[in-house]
Amino acid sequence: MVTPSQQMIEIQWQGEKLHLLAQKGLFWPEEKALFVADPHFGKAATFRKVGIPVPEHTTEDDCARLLQMLEQTQASRLVFLGDFLHARQGKTDPVRTLLFQWREACASVEIVLIRGNHDLKSGDPWAELSIKCHGEPFLIKHLNCRHHPSDKENTPFLAGHIHPGYSIKGMGRSSVRAACFWVRRESIILPAFGSFTGLKNIRPNPEDKIYLSNDQEIVEVGIPKLGPKF
Amino acid sequence: MTTKASYQRARKKAEQYFHDRSWKPFPFQKEAWKSYAEGKSGLVHAPTGTGKTYAVWTPTLLEWMSEQKGKAMTKRAPQLRVLWLTPLRALVEDTTRTLEELSEGLELPWTIQSRTGDTSGSVKAKQRKKYPSCLVTTPESLSLLLSYPETKEAFSDLRAVIVDEWHELLSSKRGTQTELCLARLRKWNPELKTWGLSATLGNLDTALSTLVGSHENSVLINGDLKKKFVVKTIIPKDMEKFPWAGHLGGKLVEEVAKQIEKAQTTLVFTNVRSQTEYWYHALVSVRPKWGDELGIHHGSLDRKDRTEVENRLRTGQIKAVVCTSSLDLGVDFSPVEQVIQIGGPKGVARLLQRAGRCGHQPGAISRVFCVPTQAMELVEYAAAREAMEARKIEQREPLRAPLDLLAQHLITLALGGGFSEKEALQEVRTAWSYRDLSEEEWSWTLDFVIRGGNTLRAYDQFKRVVVKNGIHCVESKIIGRFHRMSIGTITSDQAITVKFKTGKTLGTIEESFISRINPKSNFYFSGKLLRLERVRDLTAIVSIAKAGKGAIPVWGGGKSPLSSELSIAVREKLMQAKTGSCKEPEMKAIAPTLSIQDKNSTLPEQNQFLIEKTVTKEGVNWFLFPFAGRLANEGLAALVSYRMSKIIPMSLSVSFNDYGFHLCSNEDLDLSEKKWRELLNPEKLIDELLDCMNLSEMAKRQFREVARVAGLIFQGFPGAQKSARQVQASGGLFFDVFSKYDPENLLLTQSRREVLERQLEVERILSKLQEIKSQDLIINYPGRLTPFAFPLWAESLRTQVSTESWGDRVRKMAEELEQTN
Repeated sequence: MVTPSQQMIEIQWQGEKLHLLAQKGLFWPEEKALFVADPHFGKAATFRKVGIPVPEHTTEDDCARLLQMLEQTQASRLVFLGDFLHARQGKTDPVRTLLFQWREACASVEIVLIRGNHDLKSGDPWAELSIKCHGEPFLIKHLNCRHHPSDKENTPFLAGHIHPGYSIKGMGRSSVRAACFWVRRESIILPAFGSFTGLKNIRPNPEDKIYLSNDQEIVEVGIPKLGPKF
Repeated sequence: MTTKASYQRARKKAEQYFHDRSWKPFPFQKEAWKSYAEGKSGLVHAPTGTGKTYAVWTPTLLEWMSEQKGKAMTKRAPQLRVLWLTPLRALVEDTTRTLEELSEGLELPWTIQSRTGDTSGSVKAKQRKKYPSCLVTTPESLSLLLSYPETKEAFSDLRAVIVDEWHELLSSKRGTQTELCLARLRKWNPELKTWGLSATLGNLDTALSTLVGSHENSVLINGDLKKKFVVKTIIPKDMEKFPWAGHLGGKLVEEVAKQIEKAQTTLVFTNVRSQTEYWYHALVSVRPKWGDELGIHHGSLDRKDRTEVENRLRTGQIKAVVCTSSLDLGVDFSPVEQVIQIGGPKGVARLLQRAGRCGHQPGAISRVFCVPTQAMELVEYAAAREAMEARKIEQREPLRAPLDLLAQHLITLALGGGFSEKEALQEVRTAWSYRDLSEEEWSWTLDFVIRGGNTLRAYDQFKRVVVKNGIHCVESKIIGRFHRMSIGTITSDQAITVKFKTGKTLGTIEESFISRINPKSNFYFSGKLLRLERVRDLTAIVSIAKAGKGAIPVWGGGKSPLSSELSIAVREKLMQAKTGSCKEPEMKAIAPTLSIQDKNSTLPEQNQFLIEKTVTKEGVNWFLFPFAGRLANEGLAALVSYRMSKIIPMSLSVSFNDYGFHLCSNEDLDLSEKKWRELLNPEKLIDELLDCMNLSEMAKRQFREVARVAGLIFQGFPGAQKSARQVQASGGLFFDVFSKYDPENLLLTQSRREVLERQLEVERILSKLQEIKSQDLIINYPGRLTPFAFPLWAESLRTQVSTESWGDRVRKMAEELEQTN
């Protein structure tokens, strides 16, 4: 069975039609809003400052991918679900230049940032980027936008922070691990957007839904019932 | 200065001391003393517990004593004269005490101190101000010392470096790190003597060359006193019902318990950690009253608990300890009277090493009792016993020029006073592992530490190593600090910590295991039946389960393949069985099985390669028997199935063990001898393996170690600064960004090479395929499963050849997952 590869999967959630994009963004057509979590801009630069060689171009690629999604969806609003900047040390000139160029290319889009834990330490982005910064939660229609997922939240919400990853094993040593959208009844956790961000394995419940994404393709995978197999 | 007379005087004093303790030096010890006094370096090889320590420690003391003017010795402790390197932190304290015993006995004013990662900061700082006369330390701590510019001066009177358990370090990155450190010390002092202590190996000459590097005046000293070993097998009475594979042993638990009762203290060795948990539990169920008298010891248990078990072993307060190779090394536990080996030994050296863990009383015999978990292991025991007696022991090869470690070492040198390119290259090439380091590899690594590699050339912010007037050095304080924190090559497992609610830590377990356990379910760990309460972050909180059954954890890796040497010995035994000339009890016990194999198919001779084809209700089965060890057999299985599916696209399931592999398909394929020869052709081996083994995923996993050694990732270390948290990334992430943005990065190449060499044993695959070319192919159709084929059939490990796209693969695996649940 070979199904054609997909760049987008449409889901119905909390009465809304939502698009999960392979490029790790979530688009809400009715609100013309694109959601992206955890880009961690300037992370590679932070590493370089302490002498760890991370190749260049991750930031360029991430900016390009954002523009591509904006173009594709024709979104008028872009919501960052936290951790726009990785660290204060990462606010270097090259990073600034790239982000300024990117902002110019999408000047008509309204941008909102829900401050994440990294943003609180590194400070708000440069004012010239005209990004409106808010603390969490931030309500759009009946959905809350957050950085940190919350157990106590009564309103359905979209969040980031976790960098969800999921691995599925085939036979023998064969396995695939990738970033994923973790769709639960009351929340959707978005994959971390930045190219240079890690993954944390999640433990979904059987009623949850998992969509693996590797920037080119998005695939829904089944979740096995928990329990030992011996 | 040393004169003959003063040396003789010193030697007499030492001999008098030994004589007073009615201890007579062995000839090999005297040989080592003499060689050392002549300024030679060397390697002393002997089984454990035979006096290797005093063979090399005594002459370093004699050297100093003979340098004293007149008869009166100074009362002042000399500054650093001897560095004693040991691979195990746990050995450091005991070694320090042993060394002190002699220097105090000879009334020398020497100070002997230890220094490891566990030593407190204040003690370390004091040591760097005033070094002891002898420092007992690890390769990592030595490397760290080289990162301080003052070390050169402090080491100016260093005469000798002794490397303990060299066989253990030799073929690892820790050994290579030792080589690089020794190269530096020899550059400071070309007269420096290097002495190694090693178990017997199949390639002692290489072990010696690797140890002494450029020091030409060296000698190999044989201290093998042909200690008596007795290898016996507990043979199941009821051979017919003998299970072929799996958790067997169940039937033999009672026998093992009885054997344990016969001795004061027993070490029960298993091959993997999960078997340790299994056997501990099995023994407790047949002897509940043993309780605390039975201990458990393996690498995933908390260090405190392990140390406690070791202490009780030393004092004889314990009846038996079920353990893995975690107790292969280390101090001698004199109360241990016998060793039990569960499962095949897989290597001659390993059985010899384990046997040597008992029988330390003078004149005692080392006794090993073997417990088979599947029938073919009976042959392994008989073969291993013969190989042990003939000392036909495995080789251990040093690594070839690992660049991750070179990058680390270059930064260490840059920090420790700086280096010039030409001299550093010369120095590095005096280390055996780097003797053939190419110009290209050198320039790439140097560029990597200076400019961060190809993609960062234009980046002015990246300044790890800077060049000033031709001297490479580190200027940034923060880079220096980060580097010192990450010196070393040991990569800790990414693991879940198992804890009680009260906070007591039990050890670590793999995430893949714990993710299959439901909260409120039970599992065995640390010899206890535990109930999983919850998993949070990287911690599993547990409580003691009241009763019931539990799952046994599995840890990845660690299952060693049958060694080449033992595999050859096994085939010889099979040959003898064919001609009926075997007398050993093991071979007699398995004779009926082997004769069924020979009758229904063939017991293959040395010049024969056996292939069996059998149709069962599951499909068409091909069984091939290269006897190449599980890793190489897995690679061969992947290769052959990949080539078969090129003839006709088909889906094959694969299993393998140490002796052979098995392919199963729904499609029948009539394969002539000519076709088989094509399938087993050594040509294009590497390219096709790359295609069929999902090598990139394997290399990605391997990259964790490479990235850690090359200083790209920091491990959790005690007292890590907050600033370190901003720069945490996983090896896999680095692998991905390098693959995408810097595909020529030589660290990626190294990671692939490490997978091919270590995880697939590609050399062994190649030599096996070449051997098959000259062998007769025996293709049998036995009509039913033979004794050789059956365990493969039962083997549940399966690999799959996959060439699909990412998305297809994910979907396919997801379908599999759903089917199996």
